[in-house]
Amino acid sequence: MATRTDNEIRELSPEEWDQLVDEKARKYLGMSGAEFERRLNAGEIDIDDSPDVTRVAMMLPLHAPHK
Amino acid sequence: MPHTNRTPAEAVEHYRGQIVRLLSCVTSAHTTVSGYHASDLPHRLSLADGDPVRLRGEQRLTLDATEQYRVHEDAEGWHVEIVGYLYAIGYEGRELVAYHWHPHGDSPITQPHMHVGADIRVGDRWLGKVHLPTGAVSLDRIVALAIAELGAEPLREDWERLIGEAAVR
Repeated sequence: MATRTDNEIRELSPEEWDQLVDEKARKYLGMSGAEFERRLNAGEIDIDDSPDVTRVAMMLPLHAPHK
Repeated sequence: MPHTNRTPAEAVEHYRGQIVRLLSCVTSAHTTVSGYHASDLPHRLSLADGDPVRLRGEQRLTLDATEQYRVHEDAEGWHVEIVGYLYAIGYEGRELVAYHWHPHGDSPITQPHMHVGADIRVGDRWLGKVHLPTGAVSLDRIVALAIAELGAEPLREDWERLIGEAAVR
């Protein structure tokens, strides 16, 4: 059975998503999205470091671990 | 009977429809998705652009929800597979409980786990930093937790049916 909701769904392009991550990184972590992604991938930031770190990190397309 | 999707886009459309129906039990906030195609890297779905949303009710609860998903094909068609998640419930501005699964990336903790916002120390460890193991948790259980156990006010009368439908996705 179909269920109607008023919840809007938005699809973002890759560029728009990058912009969104940048906005959230600046808002929650005080750094750009690019800097956050670089530091996260370099192991300088632990994804479980704080709720704000996890929130922004999970918006990134996490890749296979570096080995 | 499992839903059959003929294309990747149809699979994602089905997935996000289920998520939106589930979330409509507790919020009218929008949901954002990053893609409809098969990809090497996972796509993301976030509630309210990744911001916590305030839930209705006497308790000052918030909900965070982001899922990472892949689109894959098997003999029965295209499907969305959840490959990571963040679900968190906040209370009065602090994280009360958070369920994480981030098997990719550089974290040594690749299994599903939870964090509790308890101000308890175990030796030199704060309990809130400990990764408490869990099985895989799905968003329907978090919505049910918020309503049935923590006092979030459902926004619709058929919330139990929608949670039940989401549980079998």
